[in-house]
Amino acid sequence: MTALRIAVGFKVTPDYEALRPADWARAATGPSAHGEAVRYVRRVFNVFDEAALELALRLRDARTERGLETSLVAFSVAGREADPFLATLQALGYEGARVEPDADLDFAPATTAALVAAATRHLGGEVLLLGSRCGPGDTGLVPFLAAEALGRPSLPGVTAVEPAADRLRVTFSAGDQPLRATIAPPCVLAVGNALVSLLRVPTLKDRLATRDRVVTTLTPADLGVDVPAALSREPSALVGLETIDRSRAGVVVAGASPAEEARALYEEHLHARLERI
Amino acid sequence: MAGETPRIALVLDATGAAAERHAQALGGFLRDGLRFSPEHPADAVTHLFYAEESARERLLALAPTRLVRLVRAPPHRPDLMAAALAAFAAGGGAELFVFGGPLGAESAARLAARSGGGVLTGVLDAVAAAGALSCRRHVSSHHLIGRFELRARPWCVTLDAGWLDAGFEPPAEHVVQASTELREDDSSAPRLCDDVEVFEPPATSDLEAAQFLVVAGRGAGGRAGVERIATAADRMGAAFGVTRPVVMNAWAAPDRQIGVSGTRAAPAVCIVAGSSGAPAFLWGVERAGFIVAVDTDEHSAMAGEADAVVLDDAVTVLEALADIVARERL
Ligand SMILES: Cc1cc2nc3c(=O)[nH]c(=O)nc-3n(C[C@H](O)[C@H](O)[C@H](O)COP(=O)(O)OP(=O)(O)OC[C@H]3O[C@@H](n4cnc5c(N)ncnc54)[C@H](O)[C@@H]3O)c2cc1C
Ligand SMILES: Nc1ncnc2c1ncn2[C@@H]1O[C@H](COP(=O)(O)O)[C@@H](O)[C@H]1O
Repeated sequence: MTALRIAVGFKVTPDYEALRPADWARAATGPSAHGEAVRYVRRVFNVFDEAALELALRLRDARTERGLETSLVAFSVAGREADPFLATLQALGYEGARVEPDADLDFAPATTAALVAAATRHLGGEVLLLGSRCGPGDTGLVPFLAAEALGRPSLPGVTAVEPAADRLRVTFSAGDQPLRATIAPPCVLAVGNALVSLLRVPTLKDRLATRDRVVTTLTPADLGVDVPAALSREPSALVGLETIDRSRAGVVVAGASPAEEARALYEEHLHARLERI
Repeated sequence: MAGETPRIALVLDATGAAAERHAQALGGFLRDGLRFSPEHPADAVTHLFYAEESARERLLALAPTRLVRLVRAPPHRPDLMAAALAAFAAGGGAELFVFGGPLGAESAARLAARSGGGVLTGVLDAVAAAGALSCRRHVSSHHLIGRFELRARPWCVTLDAGWLDAGFEPPAEHVVQASTELREDDSSAPRLCDDVEVFEPPATSDLEAAQFLVVAGRGAGGRAGVERIATAADRMGAAFGVTRPVVMNAWAAPDRQIGVSGTRAAPAVCIVAGSSGAPAFLWGVERAGFIVAVDTDEHSAMAGEADAVVLDDAVTVLEALADIVARERL
């Protein structure tokens, strides 16, 4: 294996931190309300997927230095909201593809995994890099279900991938146990809390050079996946949502200066409690 | 089969780290997290997967149920575990599989895929009634809780990390129902790697045990601010943790991270300085007896999630507090 093709499956999600408590209360009024409530919030790469996309670029760079051929393809099962993200990825050297689902797959990990596996077969990619989990479902099932559908082994909690001759040296974590192994693709790697977490920014020159490149658009039918049938077999169904009340008293500690506030905090709230420790 | 009481299998992956905590999580969940309507199930059985013969007796003692099926398996082979459990399920062995341990999620996913069953991860609690398993779990980065239903059996679930602190005494005696060994060539998927190396001890942390904890967030302003808060914490005799952006900016070491992708603490007193209190972070401190927020923004979510709030600069307040505490306490 000298040439290696790496596929990265990613999702863009609403920036959940931009939502206010009132938005969450509205989102919780029903499974379909969730999508409505988050519709107009700005989109971001799912954090683990952003790390996966940057790790793949670094792996390509490291392999290129060693004279090993590497190609990259990034894809998302998503609507048009993913297009600006795909344009950025193309400017960074990825081929881009989008699988247009004809249904809401937010809480449908098995159907998503079937499409992710089929897209990987279609687009190629001995290494499939995914994130450990993504919203709103946060199940972390897609990597394992996709691995199962592809008949591939997988590793969880991946934090680094380096070339090792024509194989890969992967740092990962199972539970809280950090591990390292040399692997031979094909495989599925689920990226966890990698320290490399930010995607590099393409240069203006690269953006201009790839401006006219089209994103491959695929339908589930192109991939041989029957979405309604897959949805009817989903291994779980969302039936309701609840908000979580995390509020506490929030008593404001008064004082004219930080020193006074610290004094009041200590005397009114901490002194007795720290005595007991 | 609907209406019948499902037979329960706990699946303890003891081939990797932290077998004891995962055993406690399974036991705690069986005791407190699982309800049946109308009838309660008969005995549950633990499938205990272990790698080293020398560890067998020690691990057997951890099993959360009296009945145990021992399975010796090569490490890092969730596909083999899933194949063995699929055969057990097909033989009518169990309808509900609760997984614990590092390979739990992958084994659960692969078992459900192979047996056409239902699967859900991170379960907070579950009720089996009317032929379905209803489970609650966090969704949307811990902003909401979702209620899910599993219909097709076997039901395969993994547990919310909160169950790791359930506290559970295993039974004093165990009955070994079966003892088998899985071999690599039983597998359908190819072997991925044979040189898995543990290169660091598992992350054990002072943060979990800390009674007094100070956490610095992005509001510390930079590496210097984070270090000043860390020094203040040290002077007060408090453990020191940080939020995710602090780690991502390399202002502190990764093992300091508090939250869903870091450590979950349970201090008597916790001071959170310069964090907005996002749910993914708050999960790591919400079991604290008393929470103080120090934040310049009175509208930050953290202010409402704290028992007491100081609306001022994180570094200045923490240093002033350290002066007082160091003088009065130490
Ligand atoms: C899958 C996933 C997992 C995650 N896991 C974790 C995790 O384990 N741990 C974690 O922490 N996060 C985690 N996050 C990120 C989390 O959602 C938040 O983004 C993060 O906790 C925000 O960190 P922060 O509060 O320090 O920063 P910010 O949200 O930027 O808050 C900074 C706060 O500081 C205040 N401030 C500013 N200046 C000052 C000053 N001078 N003095 C006092 N206060 C000031 C501001 O008012 C604000 O409230 C995760 C996110 C995802 C999507
Ligand atoms: N719609 C999607 N398109 C492409 N990849 C996805 C999609 N949904 C999930 N994934 C991948 O699967 C990972 C885990 O997601 P999940 O199992 O849903 O928590 C994500 O981090 C992505 O890499």
